[in-house]
Amino acid sequence: MARVSLTGISKHYGAVRAVNALTLDIHDREFFVLLGPTGAGKTTTLRCIAGLEQPEVGDIAIAGVRVNDWSAAQRDVALVFQQYSLYPNYTVRENLAFPLKSKLRKLSSQQIADRVAKAAATVRISHLLDRRTDRLSGGEMQRVSIGRAIVREPRVFLMDEPLSSLDAKLRELLRAELKGLQQRLETTLIFVTHDQVEAMTMGDRIGVVNKGELIQVGTPHEIYNTPNNTFVASFVGAPAINLFDIALDLPAGTAQDGALGFTLEPATRARLNALPLPNDRRVRIGVRPEDVKLVAAGGITGTIYGAEHHGVEIIAIIQAGDHKLRATIPADSNVAVNQVVQFSFTQDKLHFFNPLTGDSLGRH
Amino acid sequence: MADIQIIDAEKHFGANHVIRKLNLQIRHGEFVVLLGPSGCGKTTTLRALAGLESIDSGEIRIGGRRVDHLPPQERDTAFVFQLYSLYPHLTAFDNIAFPLRAGGMPDAKVREAVIAVAKVLRIDHLLKKRPSALAGGDMQRVTIGRALVRRPAAMLMDEPIGALDAKLREEMRAELRRLHIENDSTTVYVTHDQVEAMSMADKIGVMNDGLLQQYDSPTKVYDEPANLFVAQFVGSPIMNVVDCEIGATANGTGLRLASMSEPVTLGPRAAAKVQRGAQAGELVLGIRPEAIGVSRTPVAGAIAARVHLIEPIGAYDIVDVATVNGHDSGAILRARTASQFVRAQGDPVWLSLDDARTHFFDKRSGQLLRAAA
Repeated sequence: MARVSLTGISKHYGAVRAVNALTLDIHDREFFVLLGPTGAGKTTTLRCIAGLEQPEVGDIAIAGVRVNDWSAAQRDVALVFQQYSLYPNYTVRENLAFPLKSKLRKLSSQQIADRVAKAAATVRISHLLDRRTDRLSGGEMQRVSIGRAIVREPRVFLMDEPLSSLDAKLRELLRAELKGLQQRLETTLIFVTHDQVEAMTMGDRIGVVNKGELIQVGTPHEIYNTPNNTFVASFVGAPAINLFDIALDLPAGTAQDGALGFTLEPATRARLNALPLPNDRRVRIGVRPEDVKLVAAGGITGTIYGAEHHGVEIIAIIQAGDHKLRATIPADSNVAVNQVVQFSFTQDKLHFFNPLTGDSLGRH
Repeated sequence: MADIQIIDAEKHFGANHVIRKLNLQIRHGEFVVLLGPSGCGKTTTLRALAGLESIDSGEIRIGGRRVDHLPPQERDTAFVFQLYSLYPHLTAFDNIAFPLRAGGMPDAKVREAVIAVAKVLRIDHLLKKRPSALAGGDMQRVTIGRALVRRPAAMLMDEPIGALDAKLREEMRAELRRLHIENDSTTVYVTHDQVEAMSMADKIGVMNDGLLQQYDSPTKVYDEPANLFVAQFVGSPIMNVVDCEIGATANGTGLRLASMSEPVTLGPRAAAKVQRGAQAGELVLGIRPEAIGVSRTPVAGAIAARVHLIEPIGAYDIVDVATVNGHDSGAILRARTASQFVRAQGDPVWLSLDDARTHFFDKRSGQLLRAAA
């Protein structure tokens, strides 16, 4: 239970800049997710908070107190890794009790037993307490790892891709459990992942990181619906957002790129008129697959390049000119490869980016 | 024509029974995906088709010809691995040309064939590069090109895109499917990823523990899973599976889940699948999240529940709801709603089950219950 503040932290590994002037305020009792691709700097950031790495510049404060010079143990945070770092020859009970036996803690054996029992019940491993950890399944081992973090009652939980080595079904289950756990414990939890679904479903807020820089911080809804740039737009959401460059003719109310062209609705024109458009009036449009609709007539003409039947819906891949656009359409739609179709966009959901910088041209 | 038949195939590794009495009919032109968790026997099956593993008993036929005693090079199949098995010192062109030159094809024809396949794979501009200069997706395209250039009777692929990042995987799914159609190939593809299976396959063979669980079109596997294993392996979010009791209501057949004060009346199609009087422990209800209708206002005959957890996905929300009876909450069901439809945890909601998509499974055998014909 504590606020975590990072102010201008930077970290290099040799010539590689892992984290660059990163400033971030994580609220007390918040489930905060650092999301980004491999090498983005998210794990380094987490390790700086844990005290396993030292930033060259910048301050790290926990509960308002600067902790840069504190050891990992003094910071009173618990770190859970992707690999279960359990003692294989010990039972689950011994693994859970281990962090409490430190002489610094001065806990009686009764107090230790109580805390272990409570933590085990919280992560639903009470029935496994006397089993050796090398006899556990992957999901059980990760529950023990989380239990071992809980038992310490730390001020902040730090988790580095704890679900990544589990199978899809177990990941889905543990996602919900972990979110529920964080709410019950009323604790601050910082979670690192490259999986945008984990970030969206668990985070109160998400910090998207790329190449050592914090690109955007926001609620899942904000990140998904108002991405700052094309990196965020295409990193979050599956199937990925459609991005294509197009020339606008605002007086005529049209947008055209080769064979792909459409009429701008009055509201879209008004919105574009208020944006700082590039001089050549070329923009990069982002449109999510659920905002591309097949229509009976009067739309843009395209050809079905592929159709993926996902059960719950169909992802249609529509070729229009040089572009291939993905559309999520109802599962009972009839589409066949090479069929000619008409489609349109839900125009109030269109995103506009600068084609050179990739930055959003403005919120809407 | 390259029909593939596997007849009563069995395979052991020591005491491990990795393929159990497997029968599989693959027609020419089909894209078949073998789907299952690690250790289910899918890769061994693929390797047995290629001739990289022998089978203990049974038969394998490709294009009507029995091949299970033939070495790999005489089976006319091409194998694509997850890791790009390219020659690092050769250019993309020479890598793709390798199997043709090994077969003694004249240079001019090699050139023609390599360029044709590179165009299909959209790597014709990369042919002079060595593998180390290529991005992951392009490397895998070269690997596929090398397999494809021989025009084999069957393409066998073992998790070929598993190592790529999410966005590239999404693109490659569409490209592989397209390639299959354009080349009139017969493809057998192995993966543990149900999304890949659903998106590319004409037919999915779901395997577990060496046994083929179901062999059907993706739609059929999704809408009518043969058993609980298939039901929960295919689809995300996972199909809800909860204990239930079946009784009678004033209007027909009633369903009761944990912490429901009154049973709700099932629709006619769901009711036809179950016997009244089934007790807890005998039956489970199976229903996909999108088949649960969620209302924020009371609905007659609906299940009263409370919002337990909201998971936003962006395009929609996954909402965990718990059936309630006073202050007790019971079974948790996962539903799919429009983004931000449900406002907050703890809010009351009313659930309706889509009649046609309400399934029941026998808890002991795991088998799907079907309506009497």
